[in-house]
Parts: sequence; structure tokens; C-alpha cells
Amino acid sequence: MADVVLKNVRKSFGRAQVIHGVDLDIADGEFVVFVGPSGCGKSTLLRLIAGLEDVTSGDLFIGGERVNDRAPAKRGIAMVFQSYALYPHMNVYDNMAFGLELAKSSRSAIDAKVREAARMLQIESLLDRKPRELSGGQRQRVAIGRAIVRDPKVFLFDEPLSNLDAALRVQTRIEIAKLHADTRATMIYVTHDQVEAMTLADRIVVLNAGRVEQVGTPLELYHRPANLFVAGFLGSPQMNFIPCAVSRTDADGVQVQLPNGGTVTVPVSPAGVRAGETVTLGIRPDHVKVLDQGALAGRIALVEELGESHLLHVDIGRERPLTVREPGDSRHEAGQEIGLSLDGAFCHLFRESGGALPLLAPAGSPTGRPAARAINAA
Amino acid sequence: MKILARIGFWLLVAGIGLFSIFPFYYAVISSFRSGNDLFSVAYLPERLDLSNYVAVFERQPFGTNILNSIVVAASVVALSLALGITAAYAFGRIRFRGRSLLLMTILAVSMFPQVAVLSGMFELIRGFGLYNTLPGLILANLMLTLPFTVWVLTTFMRELPKEIEEAAFVDGATPWIVVRRVFLPLMMPAAVTTGLLAFIVSWNEFLFALTFTLTNERRTVPPAIALMSGSTAYELPWGTIMAASVIVTLPIIALVLVFQRKIVAGLTAGAVKG
Ligand SMILES: Nc1ncnc2c1ncn2[C@@H]1O[C@H](COP(=O)(O)OP(=O)(O)OP(=O)(O)O)[C@@H](O)[C@H]1O
Ligand SMILES: [Mg+2]
Repeated sequence: MADVVLKNVRKSFGRAQVIHGVDLDIADGEFVVFVGPSGCGKSTLLRLIAGLEDVTSGDLFIGGERVNDRAPAKRGIAMVFQSYALYPHMNVYDNMAFGLELAKSSRSAIDAKVREAARMLQIESLLDRKPRELSGGQRQRVAIGRAIVRDPKVFLFDEPLSNLDAALRVQTRIEIAKLHADTRATMIYVTHDQVEAMTLADRIVVLNAGRVEQVGTPLELYHRPANLFVAGFLGSPQMNFIPCAVSRTDADGVQVQLPNGGTVTVPVSPAGVRAGETVTLGIRPDHVKVLDQGALAGRIALVEELGESHLLHVDIGRERPLTVREPGDSRHEAGQEIGLSLDGAFCHLFRESGGALPLLAPAGSPTGRPAARAINAA
Repeated sequence: MKILARIGFWLLVAGIGLFSIFPFYYAVISSFRSGNDLFSVAYLPERLDLSNYVAVFERQPFGTNILNSIVVAASVVALSLALGITAAYAFGRIRFRGRSLLLMTILAVSMFPQVAVLSGMFELIRGFGLYNTLPGLILANLMLTLPFTVWVLTTFMRELPKEIEEAAFVDGATPWIVVRRVFLPLMMPAAVTTGLLAFIVSWNEFLFALTFTLTNERRTVPPAIALMSGSTAYELPWGTIMAASVIVTLPIIALVLVFQRKIVAGLTAGAVKG
């Protein structure tokens, strides 16, 4: 059992508080990914769990025991650093064996574990090399190997793939997923990369300025972002945001008036919403449909071809253009006037505080969105 | 044009080389001459007369002096490095109040001219009962070597990536193990360089060695050479002095040659990240 529980954890460096009371419950064997903009405190939170920084206030539990004052080595964790942090003067074997040696394991036990990890990571032929004689990907494997041999209850990764090239990233990502499947250890993983977050995570924790914005499964966060920040942070290209006014509320949801006159009814709970209130409508680029005539009209400012899909940046008379993604090659050119339709079933509404209005889940669909999509596709 | 530049370059190299090597060369030449020959100018050795070298050891306890120098210099190096590396760890890695003030103070200490601290140091040494002993000299010389050792090693320590040390902590290392098993090997080039400099400083140190010793048997080499007397009160024993100088320069040259590769590595360390 190695669940990780944070209770109102705060961290200050001198006067500056960087973690503002984080509560988090990570189950045994879960793969949790921390995402958030640069400087939001992801690394700091990870280092607090590792014990490399002291918690300023709050409680930290690993496997049910309070570990606030416990040394990193006694917490049953292993950490993989972004910069690998291998010992430059030791060869690969000694790098992996160092921790076991300090733990006074027997020579044969050390040897067995190191060779087992090396076999798993396919670095058996590199055991005699120094870190400087390895490629970036090989170094990263050694760093992961060093974590594996400790047999930790909790793995901590701080942007482990950010120094690798695209192909190696995909490969190592898959290996980490396999490692999780094999060991069933709890894993906490910090990344900037949305694809890594979406593919690896059981649950994603979105952090912003030292606070947790939302915790949930990748699809939960993608389909039901709790607020503007999460909606804008997850998904690439970013969700479109259009400020508009509420024109009517009823049992079907909230009807809003778009800037140039059209209306959209969004199936969200109307509780507490007044007509005339200003809200922000959010819709992902994939869900905007291009028509000759639609709820919105605009002029294409830029076409970006991505191969499997293309992006239209449409000027709708506001400072930020609306982004539309459609499959295949573009049938349109820059300068063309087009109409856009927004399907209310795919829209989100955010109040001025930033919070999202809860979706009205259609009958038989607990999450709401995927079902709505299915209906639409039919 | 290119050839001219080339010739100019090599002339410059030759000039600098000559300027740095000539004094030592002249000492070697002179040490093989004796009597009145010494006072005529000669640039080439005429014959190999070893009488000066014999005289060095006969007229005073020069062997003891050399041994003293070795003991003092080696102890100073060992203490400087031990204190320097542990201090560098504290200065480079541990946050505490007054850290930069302390560092500046250490730097300031190295700016005092030796003469300025001489009388105070004398009282101190006498107070500790170390007058005319080797530990007294070791203590005094540490004042000369510790500031730069601490500074250089601290700078070097700060350049080592912090993650390496953190990885070691996660692996279960104590601060002492981190210093010994991780930092020490990584800092070897810097330690060799500063250790060698400390050795040279201590080996050549004159003023303290002259002031804090009384008897011939306790002297290190530099004051021993300076206080060499000839057979009469009016004779300045140039030949013997030159022979003695050559003898004591050899260990330094040998050390530099042995550690040359490490020094070069030390001077370029940090340029490449491991
Ligand atoms: N040792 C420290 N002393 C003072 N402030 C620090 C220290 N470490 C981090 N901070 C501050 O804490 C905040 C969070 O830093 P942290 O490294 O956790 O960000 P991050 O989310 O990991 O960012 P990135 O994605 O760029 O790695 C930053 O504002 C940073 O300046
Ligand atoms: Mg970070």
C-alpha cells in the first residue's frame, strides 16, 4: 500500500509562498500527472513529496504514514530528474548500484537487481560505460534504471522526457507506461506535454500558481473542464472563447446571444443564472462547423495545413480569431467569407468568476459529452 | 605577411620562455661553480663540480630542513583540502544566515599583507605554545592557503548540478557520504590544482618560517637558505645557496609534471557538463 495523501500542504521560499494549500489523494498504484504552466509549482510539489524540500505547513502521508520529517531515502520513493542527474564519475552499473550499496544490500542481491533492471531497459551492453559516453535516451534509461532497482513504492518523474527528441519520447513514454503496468507502483509524473499527460495518466492534476485547479481523468478534464483555466490549458489548439450575454434560461439549458446576433442553447444547469448576465462561451476548434451561413460569420485570416487536418483562423470581428479544425486538406483560402455554426451540445459556459456551469448529462450518459458526440455523429 | 606573423609569434614565445627559465638556469649553472669563478659571468656550464651540493648538507642540517618543509607543506595541503572541501560544501550548498558575509570575510583575510598580521600571529603562536615548532608553522601557513582554497572550491562546488546531490540523497546518502563519494571524485581536478598551489605557497613561505622558528633544526628550507653562512663572516656562500635552491626547486617541478594533466583538466573543468 503506497497511497500518497497531501493535506493542505503549503510551501514558502522565504516570503514567497509558491504552494497555497494543496489537498490531494493519490491511490495506491495510480498514475497521476501534474500539468500546469511554467512556474506554477509542479516541480516544487514533486520535490515536497520526495522530501528534497521541507513542507512549510500541512501534512504529507505516504502509505498511511506521516512523512513530513522523514529523509528522502526513508520514504520509499525514487525520483527521475529532468537532467538525469547520473553520477558522472561512476559507470552505469555503479550508478544503479549506488543506492543499494548504501542500503547495505548483499553483493549478489545488488548484482541480480541491477542486471534485471538493465535487461528490462535494454541497457545490458552499456553497464561499463560512463554517463558521458551515452546518448540522451540511454542516459534517461539509466536514470529510470536507478529508480527501478530501489524497488520504490512511489515513482516520481520530473519532466523525464523533455530532453529527448520526438521519436525517442514516444518510445520512452510507452516504456514508462509498461513499467507502470508491470510494477503497479504509484507514479507521479510532471510534464509540459499534453500528449504525455493524456496518454499516461489515470488522473491529471492541473496546477496554476500553486493551487489545484482540477483533478480528474484525462477525458473528464477534456470534456468537462471545471473552469476557464483548465478549459484553456488542455487541448491543442486551445479552446475558443467568445464572451456573450445570456438571453434565456430554461430546463433545456442556457441560451446565449453571440456577438453578431445568432443564439446558441447550451445544455448546462441554469441554476442561479440570470438573463442578461455576461458569460464566456467555450468551444473546441474541432467542434466548430463551417457552413455558408451560420450563427457566426467571419473572414478566414489564415489557413494552416497540418496534413491529417487543417486549421482555419477566422476573424469574427474580435481581437482573438476563432480557430476551426477540420479533417483533411482545406477547401478554403485566406480572405474567404464563411459562416460558422456552434453546436450547443459541444459548448461550455463559464461565469465571470471563471467557473464552468455544470453540464446537464443526457439520460444514460454519466459523463455527458461522449454521448452527445455519438448523437451528433448519428 | 603570414610568415612574418609566424616569426613574430615564435620570437615572443622564445622571449617569454627565456625570461621565465633563465633565472633558474643561471642558478643551476652557478651551483656547479665555486670559488672566484662565481663572480665572473658565464652562460654555459664548464665542469660538473658537485662540491656545493655536498657543502649544503655538511655545513647545516639541510636534510632536516627539507624534511621540515615536506612535513609542513604536506600537512598544510591536507588540512587546506579537508577544511576547504567541507567548507565549500557548506558555502555552496547549505543556506545559513551570514553566509555571504562569512565568504567575504575569508576573502578579506587573504588581502592582509603578511607583515601586517605578523606580530599578532606571533602572539597567537606563542599563546598556543607553538613557538619554534612545526605545528606553529602549519597553523600560520593555513592563513595563507585556506582563503583561496575555500574560494576556488566553493566556486567549483556551486557549478556542480544540484540534482546529482539530490539524487544521492534519494539514494540514501548522508551529507558526509555525498561529500566523500560524489563531490570528492568530481572535485578531484579542482582539489589537485588548489592542493598544488597550497603546496607551493607553503613550500616557499619565508616570513612566518623565519619569525616563528628559532633553531636551525626547526627551520624550513627558505629561511635555512637565507641564513646560510659561509666559512668566514664576510663570505656570502653563493655556490651553496644556488645548490640549495636547485635542490628545493626540483620537488616542485616534479609535482607539477606529475599532476600536469590533472591541472589542465582542472582549469577547463566546468566547460563541459558531465
Ligand atoms: N529554491 C527556490 N527558492 C525560491 N523560489 C523558488 C525555489 N524553487 C522554486 N521557486 C519558485 O517557485 C515557483 C514554482 O517553481 P517550480 O520549479 O515548482 O515550477 P514548475 O511548475 O516546475 O515550472 P517549470 O514547468 O518551468 O519547471 C517559481 O515561481 C519559482 O521561482
Ligand atoms: Mg519544473
